[in-house]
Amino acid sequence: MKTHFLALAVASASLGVLIGGCSGGSNESTADKSKHLDVVSFQGGFGIDFFKQAAKEYEANHPGVTISLTGGPRVWEQLRPQFASGTPPSLTWPGWGMDYWALIYDKQVLPLNDALAKPAFDGKGTWRDTFDPALLKLGEYQGQQYELPYHYNIMGWWYNPDTFAKHGWAVPKTFSELIALCPKIKAAGMAPLTYQGQYPDYTIKGFLFPWVISIGGIKAADDAQSLVPGAWKSDAFLQAARMIKQLRDQGFFEDGANSLSHTQSQTDFLAGKAAMIPCGTWLESEMKKTMPPGAKMAFMMPPVVDGGKGDPSAIMIGIEPWIIPTAGSNHELAIDFYKFMTSLDKAKQFVTECGTLTAIKGSDQAKMPETLVEPARLFRQSKTVYSIQFDTWYSTLGTESKHAMEALLNGSNTPEQFVDRLEAEAEKVRQSKKPIHTMTH
Amino acid sequence: MRNRGRTAFIVTYLAPATLLYGVFVIWPVLQAFGFSFYKWSGMSANKTFVGFDNFKQLFHDSVFWQALEHNALIFLIGGGAILVIGVGIAHAMQGEGRLTKVLRSVYLFPNIMSLVVVAILWEFVYDPNIGLVSSLMRLFDGPVRAGAPPVDHSILGSATKALPAVIVTFVWFAVGFYIMLFSTGIRQIPSEVVEASKLDGAEGFHQFRKITLPLLWSVGRIAVIYLVINTLNVFALVFLMTQGGPDRKTEVMLTYLYEQAFVNSDYGAATALAIANFVIVMAVSGIVLRLTRKDPAGASR
Repeated sequence: MKTHFLALAVASASLGVLIGGCSGGSNESTADKSKHLDVVSFQGGFGIDFFKQAAKEYEANHPGVTISLTGGPRVWEQLRPQFASGTPPSLTWPGWGMDYWALIYDKQVLPLNDALAKPAFDGKGTWRDTFDPALLKLGEYQGQQYELPYHYNIMGWWYNPDTFAKHGWAVPKTFSELIALCPKIKAAGMAPLTYQGQYPDYTIKGFLFPWVISIGGIKAADDAQSLVPGAWKSDAFLQAARMIKQLRDQGFFEDGANSLSHTQSQTDFLAGKAAMIPCGTWLESEMKKTMPPGAKMAFMMPPVVDGGKGDPSAIMIGIEPWIIPTAGSNHELAIDFYKFMTSLDKAKQFVTECGTLTAIKGSDQAKMPETLVEPARLFRQSKTVYSIQFDTWYSTLGTESKHAMEALLNGSNTPEQFVDRLEAEAEKVRQSKKPIHTMTH
Repeated sequence: MRNRGRTAFIVTYLAPATLLYGVFVIWPVLQAFGFSFYKWSGMSANKTFVGFDNFKQLFHDSVFWQALEHNALIFLIGGGAILVIGVGIAHAMQGEGRLTKVLRSVYLFPNIMSLVVVAILWEFVYDPNIGLVSSLMRLFDGPVRAGAPPVDHSILGSATKALPAVIVTFVWFAVGFYIMLFSTGIRQIPSEVVEASKLDGAEGFHQFRKITLPLLWSVGRIAVIYLVINTLNVFALVFLMTQGGPDRKTEVMLTYLYEQAFVNSDYGAATALAIANFVIVMAVSGIVLRLTRKDPAGASR
């Protein structure tokens, strides 16, 4: 009898919890579904606190609207099945692991030209006008806007200004200056250059393309990215590959760089084992936690080729865009919330809090980390802003370029073999039925 | 009447397991068979039927053959090493010395560790700056000749050293299980057989070769089947250590499958590869079973 009573007590207690739980839940279900947003964000170096805060502010300004903002470091893995089953979020930054273009080809991403033609957040001009056009262009396909940039990175090289000052080294502006400087750096017991050998995109973006453009002009790179026949084995590519081989053969790369991850090589750079490294403007925020005290870094342009055709002010940028899934709910609300995030105030706040540049015009007037000032200035002054997109447009060519770069850097491919492989893979893409993009400047 | 009750009883007990197995194993496999006939990004409901195109593409894909070759090398070299080391250590562990006791308490350690930990650990061993192997390599560096290309102490980034390095790690990680398998096998050899052979004068290596080894045949068969499955399905270790690089020098079937599915968004091609992998594992296992059918110790075992 006693045990029965106890069981009954436990049962009724849990029933109470259940009912309580239900009534708590019913509050949410009575909330207006047409005013609810599911936002999923990649959670990388910047975290998602900024976006969560923005969501709270938006909710406060728009009574009745509810936003659930979630994130994760490999959020694209959760998003894939959601897209496949037709239940994606209303707005998302799916992160670097997402195959954006496959989604766009599959009509899973909302076209945004109409939304961009509407007034901006502050009512002055159109929403389109608030973005830097060079960055907006990167999310365009067949004249229609699909991806919206938020923050962007600038790619270049980094050096330690203290070390350079101590030894009286001048930052090399040209390749011949670099070649002349490297032996002096070696003599001081440092490797002149290191790189993220496990991830060859860094050397493709840090060595290959800057030199291709410096030798052959921006058209050499545009043609390659547009898959113009022969572009990947043009003279510009061959010469740029030879320059990489030259640095390798003369021993100007850190020993073992081919095996290093991004953090290992960047740690070596900050620890003074190597004098220079190719990397984007995320370098400082990525290394902040493990940086040795007193380590300094400053941005520099990759040295240009003497007498090359290219614009020496050409600068490489990259975006990690946000998208509005076609199958997501409440498109208008999602657009309005993103418009709020791209208001000048919010964008400036992002620059200051997250320490990176944004695609919103005028946001570079905000207070920013010292290491960003120089790349931001170079970006503003550049007459040729470009981005590497072929690897996301044609994923198989992207993969092959990385493999070919690994082979060039570890000496198993000659520069001639390197460009032949790239051209052969480009030909395969041309033969396939995959969409081909055109890039022009 | 009694018989029917018995049948009902059996069915009741079998049903849950069969149902779960059907839903979670059989059905997904059949589904995968289905996907392999479609062009599908894996990110929408849009699928296009392409018949056997994915399979045709696969057989003409040099990367697939290269990956299969690496799987085969891991099986032949890594698997061979595991068999030799496994039997050797299992045999050595039968004694009562102090070393045996130490061996017995440590041999399963690598197996207990998470693969992620194993990969990180060995990345340190192979680190070009502070790693054990590169430090040893530096001891054998000749004098630096003027004008000669610099010596590269990369291991996991080297075209020739990466695969051997991965195989060594695989052997280190996997061998414990096989030691356990063989050591159980050795302990099951009837003591009268061992004693009789001793009376007949068999000792040491002779006894090992004539008695232990033949009587381990059936255990050995199981070990080889396990090796076929483990080496043809190796993924996490390679993915964590080299991602198949440099330049596909350590690419295996499943890392390429991952690339096709998640980098190239080609689920059809990826499932075709999964099915090819399934068929290859089944076929090789079948061949191994057939080749080793004849037990040298006699048909009764």
